[in-house]
Amino acid sequence: MAAAAATPTVFLLMVNGQIESAQFPEFDELYCKYCFAYGHDWAPTTGLEEGISQITSKNRDAQQALVWNFPIDITFKSTNPSGWPQIVVSVYGPDLFGNDVVRGYGAVHVPFTPGSHRRTIPMFVPESTSKLQKITSWLMGRHPEFTDPKVVAQGEGREGK
Amino acid sequence: MNSLLLQTIYHDFPVLGLPPVPSTSRTSFAEFSVRERMREKLKAARVRIFFFMQSEDESRQMQEDESQMSSRVKFRDSVKKLKQKSHVQTDFPSAEEAYNFFTFNFDLEPENMKDETKSKKKSESNQEEEEGKEQESIELLPPHPPHGEDCLVNDREDLFIMDQMACDFLVVKPADYKSYSERLQKEREILFTPSILTVPMSQKVPENMQPRYLEDEGLYTGERPIVSLSNQNILENRMLRQEWFGDDGKLLALPSPIKQSSTRPPIFSLEEGIEPELETLYRKAMKPMHANQYIVGSGDPQGQFQLDIDISGLIFTHHPCFSREHVLAAKLAQLYDQYLARRQQNLTKLLTDKLHALRNAVQSSLDNSGTNFKFIHIYIYRQTRRLRDAEQEKDRTLLKTIIKVWKEMKSLRDFQKFTNTPMKLYLRKEEVDQRSDKKIYEAEIQAEINELLEEYMEEYEKKMEEYKTELQEWKSWKKAQTKKKKKIKQSQDQEEEEAENSEYGEEPVKPIPPKLADSLEVEQQVREKAINIRRKPGEPVLIPELSLTESVTPNDLCPRAEVLRREDVKKRSVFLKILFNTKEVSRTITRQISSDFRVHFGQIFNLKIFNWPESLKLQIYETVGFSSTNLLAEMFIPVPETTVLTGRARTEEIEFSSNQRVMLDHEGVGSGVPFSFEADGSNKITLMTSGKVSNSVSWAIGENGVPLIPLVSQQKTGIPSALKNIDAVASIGTSGLTDMKKLAKWAAETKLDPNDPKNADLMQLIMVATSGDACVPGFFRLEQLQQEFNFALDEELNRSKRFQLLQLRHREVAEFRNYKQVPLLEREITEKLFENYEKRLHERDVIDSKDHLDAHRALVAKYLQKVRESVINRFLTAKHHFLLSDLVNEEEVPSLGNLGLSLFKLAEPKRPLKPRRKERKKVTAQKLSDGDINLLVNIIRAYDIPVRKPVLSKLQQPSRSSRSFNEMFAASPSPQSPTHSIDWTFNQVLVHPFVEVSFQRTVCRTTTAEGPNPNWNEELELPFRAPNGDYSTTSLQSVKDEVFINIFDEVLYDVLEDDCERGSGIHTRIERHWLGSVRIPFSTIYFQTRIDGTFKIDIPPVLLGYSKEKNLGNERGYDSVRSPSEGSYITVFITIEPQLIPGDPVREKFDTQEDEKLLQAAEKYQAECALKFPSRQCLTTVVDINGKTVFITRYIKPLNPPQELLNGHPNNSQAAAELVARYVSLIPFLPDSVSFAGICDLWSTSDQFLDLLAGDEEEHAVLLCNYFLSMGKKAWLIIGNSIPEGTTAYVLTWEQNQYVIWNPSNGRCYGQFDTFCPLQSVGCLISFDNIWFNIQQYDSPVRINFDISKPKFWKSFFSQSLPYPGLSSVQPEELIYQHIDKAAALELQGRIEKILKEKIMEWRPRHLTRWNRYCTSTLRHFLPLLEQFQGKAVEEDHQAELQKQLGDYRVSGFPIHMPFSEVKPLIEAVHSTGVHTIDVSNAEFALAVYVHAYPKNVLSVWIYIASLVRNR
Repeated sequence: MAAAAATPTVFLLMVNGQIESAQFPEFDELYCKYCFAYGHDWAPTTGLEEGISQITSKNRDAQQALVWNFPIDITFKSTNPSGWPQIVVSVYGPDLFGNDVVRGYGAVHVPFTPGSHRRTIPMFVPESTSKLQKITSWLMGRHPEFTDPKVVAQGEGREGK
Repeated sequence: MNSLLLQTIYHDFPVLGLPPVPSTSRTSFAEFSVRERMREKLKAARVRIFFFMQSEDESRQMQEDESQMSSRVKFRDSVKKLKQKSHVQTDFPSAEEAYNFFTFNFDLEPENMKDETKSKKKSESNQEEEEGKEQESIELLPPHPPHGEDCLVNDREDLFIMDQMACDFLVVKPADYKSYSERLQKEREILFTPSILTVPMSQKVPENMQPRYLEDEGLYTGERPIVSLSNQNILENRMLRQEWFGDDGKLLALPSPIKQSSTRPPIFSLEEGIEPELETLYRKAMKPMHANQYIVGSGDPQGQFQLDIDISGLIFTHHPCFSREHVLAAKLAQLYDQYLARRQQNLTKLLTDKLHALRNAVQSSLDNSGTNFKFIHIYIYRQTRRLRDAEQEKDRTLLKTIIKVWKEMKSLRDFQKFTNTPMKLYLRKEEVDQRSDKKIYEAEIQAEINELLEEYMEEYEKKMEEYKTELQEWKSWKKAQTKKKKKIKQSQDQEEEEAENSEYGEEPVKPIPPKLADSLEVEQQVREKAINIRRKPGEPVLIPELSLTESVTPNDLCPRAEVLRREDVKKRSVFLKILFNTKEVSRTITRQISSDFRVHFGQIFNLKIFNWPESLKLQIYETVGFSSTNLLAEMFIPVPETTVLTGRARTEEIEFSSNQRVMLDHEGVGSGVPFSFEADGSNKITLMTSGKVSNSVSWAIGENGVPLIPLVSQQKTGIPSALKNIDAVASIGTSGLTDMKKLAKWAAETKLDPNDPKNADLMQLIMVATSGDACVPGFFRLEQLQQEFNFALDEELNRSKRFQLLQLRHREVAEFRNYKQVPLLEREITEKLFENYEKRLHERDVIDSKDHLDAHRALVAKYLQKVRESVINRFLTAKHHFLLSDLVNEEEVPSLGNLGLSLFKLAEPKRPLKPRRKERKKVTAQKLSDGDINLLVNIIRAYDIPVRKPVLSKLQQPSRSSRSFNEMFAASPSPQSPTHSIDWTFNQVLVHPFVEVSFQRTVCRTTTAEGPNPNWNEELELPFRAPNGDYSTTSLQSVKDEVFINIFDEVLYDVLEDDCERGSGIHTRIERHWLGSVRIPFSTIYFQTRIDGTFKIDIPPVLLGYSKEKNLGNERGYDSVRSPSEGSYITVFITIEPQLIPGDPVREKFDTQEDEKLLQAAEKYQAECALKFPSRQCLTTVVDINGKTVFITRYIKPLNPPQELLNGHPNNSQAAAELVARYVSLIPFLPDSVSFAGICDLWSTSDQFLDLLAGDEEEHAVLLCNYFLSMGKKAWLIIGNSIPEGTTAYVLTWEQNQYVIWNPSNGRCYGQFDTFCPLQSVGCLISFDNIWFNIQQYDSPVRINFDISKPKFWKSFFSQSLPYPGLSSVQPEELIYQHIDKAAALELQGRIEKILKEKIMEWRPRHLTRWNRYCTSTLRHFLPLLEQFQGKAVEEDHQAELQKQLGDYRVSGFPIHMPFSEVKPLIEAVHSTGVHTIDVSNAEFALAVYVHAYPKNVLSVWIYIASLVRNR
């Protein structure tokens, strides 16, 4: 809550953390991207708004976690709690033929309370519209993707009709 | 025997806590081995020991048991001794008893005891159960001999111990054994075996009684159950001693018919265990839930109130079964009641006494004088006398009627010869002293006469006085009359008559003197009256006495009809229902109507009430015979006052009547039926059933003397709610009244006393009801809880600027659509933020002509704004709908052909060195931010740039001016005269052009090239910033910025003052001269993604100091249609980096009035076309200005152009066509894609277009096409792509065996083969009756065949399979044009000029702006010429003239031509030329404006702006 008299009053939201690990039992050699989706009244002041992690391999242990330990550090300023930032994570990895294929999208709100929080984001990918599409997309290595990963943090167009 | 004994012992002493001793049952006895038998014996012995030890207790117990037994088995002789013993029972046994006990042989009565125990067991089921258990345990024993042995061992040990301890107890006895016969004998002593012989009757029947056979007495007894005689006998014998025999000496096998109570009362045995679920529990009665809303003291324990209703009886004053006599009797009774009531009141006596008193008072007051007093007395006295007379008269008539009715009754009785009623009237005569009576009578009369006389005298005097005054008046009038008459007589005779006639009406009658009352007359009067109303003197006083002593004639003496009537009466019975709050609470017993039509109930009903009594009602029901009951009448009983308590309540009679019509066929008179007493049937009367119920209602008094009344205060002090309001209504006895309005009306009509405390509730209710506040709301609210969830009130939301801002942003109001960072604090929001928005809101209704200079245009602008807003609002919602493809990128399933092709490609030889064009990656808009997007402008080359003209000397000019315009028009350009001036030495080349591109205030320029056909080939990069940093598709679509490509000439001026310095240094100044510009809207670039082509540079018609090299224009060969394509061109390539994906058009189904089939066909057609040539435009349906889908051909219809335009060139159709095209192009251009950002094209009809005076290519094209059609040309609408507009509409005409393409937005026309034609591709052609889609290989107009008759080239929409249905046009029948308003144009001209001059001065804040008036006037004269020749080739002459007039000045300037829409574009245009930027200190300016008005308020504006620099 720091604001000079001249500039409008804002509050700051500092986000520190990391994308620790993932559970993708079927896939290996994955990397992830993250970005933030936020409302009109929010603006990042410092830090990286987007990031792409290294490729990681599965652990050899029973859990077979994919560990990235990819740091996140960003500060937002805002005037309105509405549109609280959401971190949007998308995970990619090579398929059988070596094409880069999206393996999951997911989003979660940045925690509302200070302190250390641990969040588990369920990941999902859009399905092909038909069986044939599925086969061809598998063959061609071009799976359906969201036009924008931030879609998963929005409601518009996902009304379910 | 032993075992048996053991068992019994065990059973008899369970209380002693003996351990269950295992013993064998009798049944298994025989099977036991000897050894076991031995063991048995041992056990028995052990038990014995116990037995002896406990002997004392045992004996006592035994006695008790025996005593019980004795009471049950009386008949047993064998135990008689024991019985006796029981009587002398003591705590300790006597010596004899003890002896008996020890010597007593128990073996004597085991059976007996067993019986007893058995009988006991029957009642004690649990004990029986124990026995059962024991039996089981016994049975279980044999299979476990080892266990038994263990026991035995233990037992032995025990025995040993016992031996050692008390061997004295041990008695060794031989085994008891009784012989069978002995046993039988003993048993016989004890046991009773009933014999099977029949029992003699004498034993069964009590002594000295005869058997009674009820059957013989006529009573039904029923059939006896079959029981064998022997069994019966056994039973009888067994039960001999019990009273089980009927009076007939037989066993009672059937319920006795003469027994009062039921023979089999339910048995509730406390001993017998009742099943838990059947057990009855006592629960205290609970109060029922108060269903009613009129609760009195709800939840209050004392809330039990009791109302006692005593209904004593019912009397019919009329009943259908009344005989005539009854009718009379009822009447008589009624009259008698009245008489009695009157006598009790004794008004006559009272009044007479009063009269006497008053008379005395008057007498005394006369003596005492005091006139006022006297008058009052006299007045009261007379009043009283009158009253007394009336009462006396009533008394007398009543008496007379009673007597009359009685007489009638008597005569009736005589007539019918029987008596029905016990009614009898006695008239008791009270003899009076005749003399005294007479005296009093006389005195009374005398007094009255005197009084009357006095009265009359008074009256006479009064009248006399009146008479006198009247007479006086009359006399005076008479005198006047006579005088008048005399006068009139003197006058004319004719008038006399009239005058007399008129006077007759007014003439007062001569007053008659009042008569003096005659005393005799008065006396006569008084006496007559006295006879009428008073008892005659000496006549005995008659006192009627009604008694019920008359004997009613018995039935057998009556005629048949009367007997029938009496029978009928007997059949009838009555009962009453009591309804409390309209609910029946109880009813009386049904009682017969007695012969005197009185019913006695005498029942008191105690109503325990919870609810406030609203109404108490009695209903009288009558039953006739066995038929159903019918409601006779209803009556309401008032709810008693709280002071009316039981015991104090008076019995009241409430009358009731029924309007039922009953006709009877016997003597009964019926009800509601006319009947007569007379023989001839005259004098009919009709009577209704009526009667009286005598009852009393009161509040009960509780046990402790507290009256069980609901507290009045409770009723009064309730909250003033609706609940109580209803109570108020209930208190007046009308329950269920809900219509408040009616109630209020009623209250108003009845004029309730508002001050009466009783009405207080009601008045309040009415007040509320009439004020209308308490009305049931006439609406239904769906989300009635919404208010609860609102976190702030609406007013608060409205007051807060922040909330307002947030709301506006949410609503996507244009100004705030992408507003970032709404301030956190209220005070940080400046008022300015809302200014624009509020201004817009405000201006929506106010037409501000200041900005527009033209009221009409202002109006149109407003209208357009409104249309825009409404359409945008409609589409804003649509924009939030997404398709799957918007969110998910998915590869299309490759078709087989594609698959094959790609497979084929795999086989292609690899050529890694051959570069392949790669499609740029498209970028979704969401990811972008400021600085990401650049606009790339590639300026390649330009053609035909105007070249500088050498400054000509004044002398050369005149020769030129002699040339006519026509000559100039047709002539080839004059060769450049090689004049050698100083300038010329500087400028070896004709022109030094460079290009400056400005976009969003960023300016970039190329290097300077040389010559009229420069080649730059430079790439300029301009950053793009989206409005508000919003890079969404919608936002990008609405970007209104334009890319300005300005071409300037860089001119070097030598500023050296004298030539001597020329050698040593160069001192020049660079000036830039604007040559022309190209504007490309950003939206076009955005939608086209790239713009690549050669554009015509907008060059003003006159560029002072410049001329064009015209050789090129002439070299172009196709001059059959005079090509106006001469001009300068520039080739540019513009694109956006990175490539943006343009937004899809809005997918929304619009309302339509088109035929569904047609729309389907259109869709199919479009789909087919798109499949073949996806890039070519195909339009079938468009959206009109109301947002409705309209088939496109409906827009094409011949429409008349303004007559003025046609008149201009009556013979030259070509010229007329050009003029029309020019007219159309003068209508301001307003692209839809900007106004309706990315939404869709809205097509307005031609009249709408002309009214709005704004539209885009489609409207222009449609209008132009329609004009051409009406001019008799063959014309089509071309839908295609052009540069720079993108998708656009052009007009195609067929003229002189050549297709001509018209650009409607600027009025230019091109031949089909004109390479500079901006139209790049042709999608489809549209006429008024068909659509043709281009299916040729190429779509460039140069390369296609426009012959639509060839189906190979053109695919038509309407064909043989789908014939043209004859669609009506949406266009008007005719266009109506207003006349040219020249005055307005002139005024506008002046205003524009003024504004522009002000602006120029404003733009030059640091310099003095001088206006050269002379030059201005020259320019002003020149402008109309330009308009006339449409800006063509008047240049030379004009320049010459200018040169002539302003020889001293170096003039640079040009006219700008624009269609007029608003002032702002004009200002912008002037500003963009940069004329005002001239830095020369002594520069002067000239500005002239010319507004040419065309019909329908289409205005062509010419602005001539020039800067003048005086030559040295």
